[in-house]
Amino acid sequence: MFALCDCNNFYASAERLFRPELNGRPVVVLSNNDGCVIARSEEAKACGIKMGDPEFLVRDLIKKFAIQVFSSNYVLYGDMSERVMHQLSRWFPRLDVYSIDEAFGWLGGVRELESYVPRIRESVVRNTGIPVSIGVAPTKTLAKLANKMSKKSGGVLVLDSEEKITAAVREFPVHELWGVGRQHYKKFEALGIRTAAELRDMPEMWFKQHMTIMGQRMWNELWGRPAIPLEQVREVKKGITVSRSFRNYIEQPEILAEAVTLYASRLAEKLRREKLRCLYLQVFLYTNKNREDHPQHFPSHTHKLLIASNSTTDLVGVAVRVSAKLFRHGVKYRKAGVIATGLVPESELQLNAFFDHDGGKKDTVSAVLDKLNLAFGRGTLRMASEGYEKKWRLKHEYLSKGYTTRWSDIIKVK
Amino acid sequence: MIRSFEKRAEQKISGFQSPAADYLEGRLDITDRLVIDPHSTFYFQMEGEDMQSFGISGGDILIVDRSLTATHGAVVVAFLAGAFSCRVFLSENSGALLKNDQDVARETEIGSLQIWGVVTSVCRNMLPKALRTGRYSNVCTL
Repeated sequence: MFALCDCNNFYASAERLFRPELNGRPVVVLSNNDGCVIARSEEAKACGIKMGDPEFLVRDLIKKFAIQVFSSNYVLYGDMSERVMHQLSRWFPRLDVYSIDEAFGWLGGVRELESYVPRIRESVVRNTGIPVSIGVAPTKTLAKLANKMSKKSGGVLVLDSEEKITAAVREFPVHELWGVGRQHYKKFEALGIRTAAELRDMPEMWFKQHMTIMGQRMWNELWGRPAIPLEQVREVKKGITVSRSFRNYIEQPEILAEAVTLYASRLAEKLRREKLRCLYLQVFLYTNKNREDHPQHFPSHTHKLLIASNSTTDLVGVAVRVSAKLFRHGVKYRKAGVIATGLVPESELQLNAFFDHDGGKKDTVSAVLDKLNLAFGRGTLRMASEGYEKKWRLKHEYLSKGYTTRWSDIIKVK
Repeated sequence: MIRSFEKRAEQKISGFQSPAADYLEGRLDITDRLVIDPHSTFYFQMEGEDMQSFGISGGDILIVDRSLTATHGAVVVAFLAGAFSCRVFLSENSGALLKNDQDVARETEIGSLQIWGVVTSVCRNMLPKALRTGRYSNVCTL
C-alpha cells in the first residue's frame, strides 16, 4: 500500500504555528517579491482569495476581511518541512519526498492500517505542529485521491478494499486526479466524463488510442494496479538555477552586475553543496512582458567554461561578463538568472592539456568562503561586486522571523 | 559559533604515534543530554522573573519538546491570553491549570489550555558581568 502525506496549507500553517493568535483567522502567503498568493488558510479560501491572485488585485479583500499577509519565509518553511519529513520517515520503511510539503510512503507489510495511519498523523501533528493529511491506497494515483478526500474526513482516509475504492472514485471529480492537466480535462469533458469512476470505466483500447503512456498508467492505477513505482533515488540533477525578480526595474549595467554577482555566488555555493561542477553557465535577463509600453528584451547566453568549475570567482567572473554583453541601454530589466548545466561530479575533473589549471587554489578560496559563511552567517565574506546597498533586492515587507534557525529570532515568553 | 571552525589538529605524526590513537571516542557534547529529539525541539527565551520559584530566571533559554504531553508538574510553554507564556501545568481535581508566581489560569475559566510544548531543560548564563567579554559574551545570549 502507498500513502500520500501532505501538509495542509503548508506555508500558512507554518506561519500560524508561531502566531497562534491567527488560528481560525484568514492567512495568506505571498510569492517572492510579494507578487501573488501562493498559500491560503482555509479561512482565506472562504474569503474568496484564489491561488495565484496578484497581491494588488486582492488588496481590497485583504482589508475587508482583515486577512493576515506574509511574505514567503523559505528559511522557516525549509526547516519545518525537514521536521515533518523526518517524523514521517520514522513510520514508513520507505519514503519518497515528493515536494516541500508532500511525500509518498510505502506501507508494505503493515497490518491494521485503520489504526496505524491515524497514529502517524497524530504523532506528526503533535511533534511538528503542522497539520497533515494522509491518504492510503494500493496505488500512488489512488493514494493521492484518498489524500484529497481525507481533508474532509479528519485527515486520514484508507482505501484498502475494492468497495471503498469504488465508492471513492465515484464521487471524485476527474479534473482533480493526479496527472490530469487542462488538455486532458477538455478531452474528458467533451466525452462527458466527470468522475474518476467514469474515466476508469473507459475501455483500455480507448486509453491506448487517445492517451499517452501516462494515461494508460493512470487507468491501471485507478483499478488498483500499481504502475508508478516509488522513486527511490532522485534523478541526477541536469541543471541548477538561481534567479530572482528585482524589487524595482534595473536600468544600469553596474547595478545589474551586483545582482548577477549575488546569483552566481549562490549558484557556486549550491554546486559545492551538491559536490558538482558545471561546464556551462547560462545567464538570462527578463523585462516585464505585461508592460506593453516598455521595450521588451529577453536575452540569454550560454558560456562554455574552459574546465568544469564550481568556484565563486570563476562563475561570478563569467556571469558578470556575459550579463554586461546582454545588457541593453534604455531597457528596464525585471529579472535575471544564472543556470549551471553540463554538471559533473567534483571527483571527475577533466583537465585540458593546454590550460594551466589553478583549481587547487580556487578550491581553497571557495572552501574558506563556505566555512566563514557557515560560521558567521551567509554573506559574511562575499565578492565586492555584489555591492553594499542592494536596492534591487527582493521585496518582502511581511516577512516573519527565523523562529527555528536564528538565535536572535527565537520567541520570548513571560 | 566558533565551533564549526575547530578541527582536530591534524595528526601528522613526526615523532611517536599517540598510544591513544586507537581509543578515540569523541568528546562529550552537552546537546546529547539537552536535546533528546532535535526534530521536535524548539527554543524560547524567558523574559521576566515570574517563574522564579520554579527555578527559571529572565534570560534563560528554554528547551521545548513538542512530542511530550504535559502531566502534573510539567513546566510548559503555552499560548495564554494572546501571548506565548511559560507556566507550570498542574492537574487538580477541580481541573487543569497553568500557574506562575503572579497568577493562575484555570481550564474551567478560560476553556481549553493551549499547551505548545513541554520545557525539558533550561540553559542559563552563570558568568558575572566582568567575564562576559569577547567570545564569552555569547554564553546563552541571543
